[in-house]
Amino acid sequence: MTLKRPFDRIETIDIHGVRKRFGETVAVDGISLDIRGGELLILIGGSGSGKTTTLRMINRLIDPDEGTIAINGIDTQTIDGIVLRKNIGYVIQQIGLFPHMTIRENIGLLPTIEGWSREEIDSRVAELLILVHLPPDQFMDRYPKELSGGQQQRVGLARALVMNPPLLLMDEPFGALDPLLRRQLQDEFIGIKEDIGKTIVFVTHDINEAFRLGDRIAIMHEGQIVQLGTPRDLILNPADKMVSDLVGSDRLFGHIASLTVSDMMVPASPIISGEMEVQSAIGVMVQSGSKIAVVRNRASSFSVLLLSTLLQMRDEVKTVLEATDPPFFLSMDASLLSALEEMKAASVSLGLVMKDGEPAGLLLPDDLITRLV
Amino acid sequence: MIDEITAVWITYNLTERTIEHLWIFSIALIAAIVAGVAIGLFIYRRRRYASPVFSSLNAVETFPDIALLVLLIPLAGIGTVPTIIACVLYSILPIARNTYTGLIFVSPDLLEVGRAMGLSERFILLKVRFPLAFPMIAGGIRIAIVFTMGIVTLGGIFGAGGLGAPLQTGINLIRPDIIFVAGIWVGILAVILDGIAGGIEASLKRRFGSW
Repeated sequence: MTLKRPFDRIETIDIHGVRKRFGETVAVDGISLDIRGGELLILIGGSGSGKTTTLRMINRLIDPDEGTIAINGIDTQTIDGIVLRKNIGYVIQQIGLFPHMTIRENIGLLPTIEGWSREEIDSRVAELLILVHLPPDQFMDRYPKELSGGQQQRVGLARALVMNPPLLLMDEPFGALDPLLRRQLQDEFIGIKEDIGKTIVFVTHDINEAFRLGDRIAIMHEGQIVQLGTPRDLILNPADKMVSDLVGSDRLFGHIASLTVSDMMVPASPIISGEMEVQSAIGVMVQSGSKIAVVRNRASSFSVLLLSTLLQMRDEVKTVLEATDPPFFLSMDASLLSALEEMKAASVSLGLVMKDGEPAGLLLPDDLITRLV
Repeated sequence: MIDEITAVWITYNLTERTIEHLWIFSIALIAAIVAGVAIGLFIYRRRRYASPVFSSLNAVETFPDIALLVLLIPLAGIGTVPTIIACVLYSILPIARNTYTGLIFVSPDLLEVGRAMGLSERFILLKVRFPLAFPMIAGGIRIAIVFTMGIVTLGGIFGAGGLGAPLQTGINLIRPDIIFVAGIWVGILAVILDGIAGGIEASLKRRFGSW
């Protein structure tokens, strides 16, 4: 039942100098792109920008005319196309569920070909249906046309995940859904993405979707990558007018210039003592549902503590103080933009906002972007 | 009225004639389905033959059926064999054409997803294209049923037996009652068979239909 795998996990996908033309039209004009394992990379652009062609070259539905695409350093041209594609999940806007097969047969198609037993298939299908929020006993034996568009798209995702591929390619999967449903599926997808921890390349033309889902975003135009960066990079440092128009810096963030740090900070809590025992600090943080705590040490100075760091170092440190990071201080009425610039220059991702010598809040640029969107 | 029908029915062995008729019909239809699907599949695999093959089959189709039966006399004589050959020649076109169309016109999205999942071309043909073509193929077979029914009846005049034989007798003896009973009965049979085929086609459409 095991699938022959050319790769079990994705370390890198190196797209190097890739070019593709269809007749007279140059679809992809010499792009290079490094995709990191575990990230969700968005390819965004208008129609004809080459984003879908790029996606299809990763699983070799299309072969590039020039350039190489290597997964974990192995040129995909040296991997058998069918073996490669069985290890890469693929989801498209039109979904493409086979109308003559039940949901169980659709999701279980590859396992069936791989010779899994009926019980193994059923339990895998049920597991995936639960993951995409469809009750298995209600949906297993229905046909695709008996499902709504949103339900079909969930099944499409479940089918793509069935062989547990380390890489998932998605081509505007939520594009055909109405805005409300699209938003709901995006939210669900964010949750699923964290559960499954896969490398995902995601094509969209919807900038809001890109900001909500993407770790990094590659903006494509006329077959080239205009800019590649985190949502924050794109908004704060658009490469050109096209990018700033697309990310809508002016439209969406026109008011950002008028904001101050205090407008966008989140409450600094809990505040704990530097001498607190590691275990009880973990307890306090978990209970408060906060991943970041402010630590007050004896000299009434402050530092910040990440729950993740604390969990990592729990066996090495006695008091929480040893696991803290020095804070990056911000003042409440500083302009938000300049605060973000400073943080970027210092490459910190967390600012401690002070007022009258006491912590007043935290500024988290990454979280900020999603809130502004 | 009933008595007269019964008398004709018994005198001219219409029960046996019906069985004979349906037997010839079945052989011809099965042969036409096998040949039609095979040709449809062949053309699907070798597209460049599509136009010459369909032109030839169309040419056969334009031939009047009596003329075809006459032309077959030097090759196959008269009787059951030339009748079956004529039925098959007429019925190949609708079946082959619908098979070909059904195999070709599968939604590109399904093909893309199938390929992206790592399905082989062979698997896609057998498990995706063919099942989705079933309603189309059934539509072609339904047309073939109507053709075949007519030609088997006509073949009776050329010694093939079946329900064409009593019709021939009626014509020779100038007996409208025989012509009437046998003719109506052939008509009813054709309607029933077409109805059954229609039912099968509709259920295939429900099961496999994206049409």
